[in-house]
Amino acid sequence: MMSGGLTRPGERDRLIVKFAEIDWTFCLILCLIAGAGGMMMFSAAESSWTPWAAPHLIRFGVFFVMMIVLAMVDLRLWFTLAYPIYAFAMVLLVGVELVGDSAKGAQRWLELGPLRFQPSEIMKIGIVLALARFYHGVSADNARMSWWLIVPLMLIGAPTLLVAHQPDLGTAILIASTGFAIMMLAGLSWRLIAAGAAATLGAAIPFVLFVLHDYQRQRILTFLDPESDPQGSGYHILQSKIALGAGGLLGKGYGLGSQSQLDFLPEKHTDFMFATLAEEFGFIGCFSILFLYGAVIFMALRIASISHSHFGRLAAAGVTATFALYVLINGAMVMGLAPVVGVPMPLLSYGGTVMLTVMIGFGLVQSVRVHRYSEVTSGRGAFM
Amino acid sequence: MSEPTIFFSEVNEKQGAFTRRAFLLGGITGAGLVALTGRLVHLQVVEAQRYQKLARSNQFNFRLVPPPRGLILDRDGVTLASNRPNFRLLVSRETGMDVEKTVADLATLVPLSPERQERLVRDIKRAPRKSPVQVMEDMSWEEFTRINVRAPELPGVTADMGEVRVYPYGGAFAHVIGYVAKVNDRDLKAAGPNPDPLLYHPGFRTGRQGVEKAFELDLRGKAGAQKLEVDAMGRVVREDPAGDIPATPGREVRLTLDADIQNRALEVMGEESGAIVLMDCRSGDLLCMASTPSFDANRFVKGLSGPEYRALAQYERKPLLDKAMSGTYPPGSTFKPMVALAALSSGVNPEVRVNCTGSWFFGGRTWHCWGRHGSQNMHDAIKNSCDIYFYQTALKIGPDPIAAAAHAFGLGGIFDIGIPGQKKGIVGSKEWKRKANRDPRNQPWFAGDTVNYGIGQGLITVNPLQSAVMTARLANGKKALNPRLIMSVGGVDQPHGDAVPDLPYAPELLEYVRGGMIAVANDTSGTAYRQSQLGLGDVLMAGKTGTAQVRVFRAGDSRKSSGVRWALKDHNWFIAFAPIDAPRYAISVLIEHGGLGGATAAAPRAREVMRVALLKDPEIRSRIEKPLPAPPLDPNAAAEGAAPPPPAVLPGEPQ
Repeated sequence: MMSGGLTRPGERDRLIVKFAEIDWTFCLILCLIAGAGGMMMFSAAESSWTPWAAPHLIRFGVFFVMMIVLAMVDLRLWFTLAYPIYAFAMVLLVGVELVGDSAKGAQRWLELGPLRFQPSEIMKIGIVLALARFYHGVSADNARMSWWLIVPLMLIGAPTLLVAHQPDLGTAILIASTGFAIMMLAGLSWRLIAAGAAATLGAAIPFVLFVLHDYQRQRILTFLDPESDPQGSGYHILQSKIALGAGGLLGKGYGLGSQSQLDFLPEKHTDFMFATLAEEFGFIGCFSILFLYGAVIFMALRIASISHSHFGRLAAAGVTATFALYVLINGAMVMGLAPVVGVPMPLLSYGGTVMLTVMIGFGLVQSVRVHRYSEVTSGRGAFM
Repeated sequence: MSEPTIFFSEVNEKQGAFTRRAFLLGGITGAGLVALTGRLVHLQVVEAQRYQKLARSNQFNFRLVPPPRGLILDRDGVTLASNRPNFRLLVSRETGMDVEKTVADLATLVPLSPERQERLVRDIKRAPRKSPVQVMEDMSWEEFTRINVRAPELPGVTADMGEVRVYPYGGAFAHVIGYVAKVNDRDLKAAGPNPDPLLYHPGFRTGRQGVEKAFELDLRGKAGAQKLEVDAMGRVVREDPAGDIPATPGREVRLTLDADIQNRALEVMGEESGAIVLMDCRSGDLLCMASTPSFDANRFVKGLSGPEYRALAQYERKPLLDKAMSGTYPPGSTFKPMVALAALSSGVNPEVRVNCTGSWFFGGRTWHCWGRHGSQNMHDAIKNSCDIYFYQTALKIGPDPIAAAAHAFGLGGIFDIGIPGQKKGIVGSKEWKRKANRDPRNQPWFAGDTVNYGIGQGLITVNPLQSAVMTARLANGKKALNPRLIMSVGGVDQPHGDAVPDLPYAPELLEYVRGGMIAVANDTSGTAYRQSQLGLGDVLMAGKTGTAQVRVFRAGDSRKSSGVRWALKDHNWFIAFAPIDAPRYAISVLIEHGGLGGATAAAPRAREVMRVALLKDPEIRSRIEKPLPAPPLDPNAAAEGAAPPPPAVLPGEPQ
């Protein structure tokens, strides 16, 4: 019914039409995941809305509305603001380096009046936009292999180093990985991918030995042999595995997880929220949540692939890659397959900043969907 | 801007590349999710049981419940060591706990000096996680409840009720029973690779000496456990009484000692330094084994301060030494019965007389007697304790028969009484001297050695326990009975001391020697006549006095002890048994530096202790308390004492 009308020029710019074009199934799944998170926070706080469940759900509601608003934002505006947003994020990162407040011994927070936030989160969106913007104006050949590629490497490298220096290894890895994912999606030559992988591996060893902070190195060493220090760094991984395993097939039941209720599980409402859920709802609950995450990722990739503009494609896919990385890294960490790096399970874990980033990202994804037929035409070059 | 915005080939190429790569990204993500699912299956389905067990071991903790330590009782069941309740305050370190603040908070609730606080902070920080450190004990009920009320705000702090060892008689049994003290590193090392978890309990005390040490494992019992649900901070969330394992109390150890006799012994010793051992001549049971001065074992349970310990250790009367079995002294004249018996068994005629003129020249020197006794046969010589007679008799028979007699009567031996610490002393013989001396010039046995040996000096030392056993064997006359200190452990009787062979001496010979000892105490000219009167009718005591020299007298020196410094006075011995007709108890009393002649210091004390033992014995009592002959019956006199018959009509009552 709509398809006929939607071909009329200007029809797609009407707000009501844009609103209808939003992928509401996708939105429902986001609500389910965030709702599950809120439910588990209620349980982890011994059946209390405070201190986690209520703020989490309220925040999600606010950010959800924001996502819908962002979905209406014209893709061309996103395109125009791509570099400025990246630049703004870079300025903030440098700012945090100079005047940042340190929490838990790491400089991550920047206070601007009443607002207190982590610039590295803005950079997660900034890097996606900037790279999508860059590749939009680069030919397929150049994207495959050319000296132009120094630009995205620099775009990725600068924030990665700044964030790693804070030090926030988890976010730095995420930013770098997201950037690399977009480079790859843009058609980077396999030979360069292989060379890059080899170089990364070669650099990783001296990096681990000389650049990392003690606690970061300890986490990695502990991951390799968690039993070596069950009371110290290995404690987190061990307790998380116990929570998962003890959940069994069907779980211990809502509010009955001893690992989370008795505080054996560290960071039970943030990084290890998945383990809290796993203990109380077992394999069935875990599988359902992973299925929902999978659905989000595939729906987002589908949105990326139907976009008519390269910017839209790469932007949506870049956000999806970030999201997928979050899910996979946190999942692997909780299940004892990766070191503890402080990456939360998006939407499920408590924490405003990551949720904000993810919801802004999905706003962008929805904007790509809503504006999938838009021609993003601000010149042929990468910077014009 | 004027260029065409879309280059179709270009667009298609970029889109194609993207689509391929997007598929790849989707594939990688999908693979990742599948891998995570696989991991979930492994953790939650395959290994679920293992992790469920781990979760339970996180959730539930067992708190050690120390067992009550076994009681130590005397032969009649009087408590010699028991336990009293003790309110203790414990702090265990937990992750994220501010030790300084916790201790400072505690100081507002209970008195803790700043130095103590400082030390506590150090101790708590050094202690392993979740292993509690004792902050205070013997809190008052008010302090205990105050802490318990505030406990929820003080993580790691617990106030509990434990038990602490108490010795109601203080020092009276300290040497026999020993005491308990905190576990130290050496105890842990000795406990082997898998120590009893009790050893790590802050309230636990382990036996350090005597019975407490020797029967540690019996007295200790087995720890129980209390099942608790705890959170990650170790705070107790819930108790689960159904899962509790009760503690097994320690076994009761009953001694053969008699508290009345032991206490009387301590009483009569007063300030003197010495020992009293009293033994049952028929069963071998030790009814009294006291060493003085003693120490309050209760002080040791709390832990002595440095100055307190030094004061005990440096006091010249050696309170920490158990003189009853660890102190060895020359037996002096109490050894003469052994010499007499050896002489009799070597064929010496006891009626052959020796003339005592107060001194005797032999081997280039003059040997003195303490008196001038004139013509002495063996009986007189024992009664008068004549040195000259025994110098010469010993010389006649040589040292070896004397050593044989000494060994047969338990001298130089160690008895299995259940507790460690006996010193066996010396019983000299030719062979012993050859082995004991490195220097060949000192190896041969000289005639002078024998002469000295004859009066229990020189190469002979004994402890008071051996001396009591010797007396008991002499009195028993038949059995070489052994002493027994532990009557029963956990209700199981310990072997009696009487299951031993007969003495290798003819009963008539022993009878003769006993006759001499009876004379010592009952013949008005005996050396201890005045001091040996029990005052128990026909129940009489026999004994032998002894003086053990601690210094060398030069010619012309007075042998009197008065006016000499305490440490240079002679040791004073008395051995005795009673009743003389059917010997029942044997006693040996040693008074260190008590002065010349056993009759002065040792004999009166022996008499007092012996009286208590005899009076407690129902058989002896019945002998003493013979009913008085009934007075002739006088009907009038009897009526006087009886209640008047009630009148038929009570006066004043309304009719």
